Amino acid sequence: MATPTPRVQVPRSATRGEVIEIKTLIEHPMETGLRLDSNGEVIPRKIINEFICRYNGEVVFRTDLHEAVAANPFISFSLRVTTSGRLDFIWNEDFGAVYALNHTLLVD
Amino acid sequence: MAETTVAQEVTRRTILAAAIAGGAGLAGVAVAATPEADADAVKEARRMTGKVVTLSPRLHLLMPSHFPNGYIVPFTLRIDSKMTDTDHVRQVQVLAPRNPINPVATFYFVPGRSEPVVSTRIRLAEQQDVLAIAEMNDGALLMARTFVEVETNGCK
Repeated sequence: MATPTPRVQVPRSATRGEVIEIKTLIEHPMETGLRLDSNGEVIPRKIINEFICRYNGEVVFRTDLHEAVAANPFISFSLRVTTSGRLDFIWNEDFGAVYALNHTLLVD
Repeated sequence: MAETTVAQEVTRRTILAAAIAGGAGLAGVAVAATPEADADAVKEARRMTGKVVTLSPRLHLLMPSHFPNGYIVPFTLRIDSKMTDTDHVRQVQVLAPRNPINPVATFYFVPGRSEPVVSTRIRLAEQQDVLAIAEMNDGALLMARTFVEVETNGCK
């Protein structure tokens, strides 16, 4: 499996109180544990099971993902911004691997 | 082979664009709300969560009524809420009653920070009512259902 690659699309700047749309995607097969390989053996489940967005450390949006979220999970959500600062995006995978990105947001 | 890849990419982008463009093109809302189907949806929710839910027009579950590819069905959810400390959505659970594994995702919102709008793409095994159950800050459980038909089983 290729290394899961996360991507986010966030406006570079925003005005105080504005609601911005954040689009996120991580390249990941989201293996459900329901499929069989060519020998008839179950391919073990391996999915991104949680996505978290932090804004200056505070959790501002979170998602639990299950098997029915499509491969390369895309999540877009909205956030009301008040101060400049750091956005952290965290994807937790089964068996403990963590993928993360951060973004500096400028708010006037 | 290369052509196939390009075709899929175009499809995906088109879908994304449609999803982003908003509810207008997504016909989920147009499906007639029959009392039988509503009652069935409430019963299914009870079976899967053990809780009593109420169908509510405050939830808008926007999905195509018919989609060829069960692996990447566009999903947009919007809830009418001011997201104040005294009136907000805590979380929304999404369920697919006819998938081999029912839970799809749960979204958690924060008053004053998140707007209760979220989009993603989900897998559906067969045609079914997709359910979204919102837990409000007062503990009320509000639900929306949208019937979606798919041509390929997205859970194989």
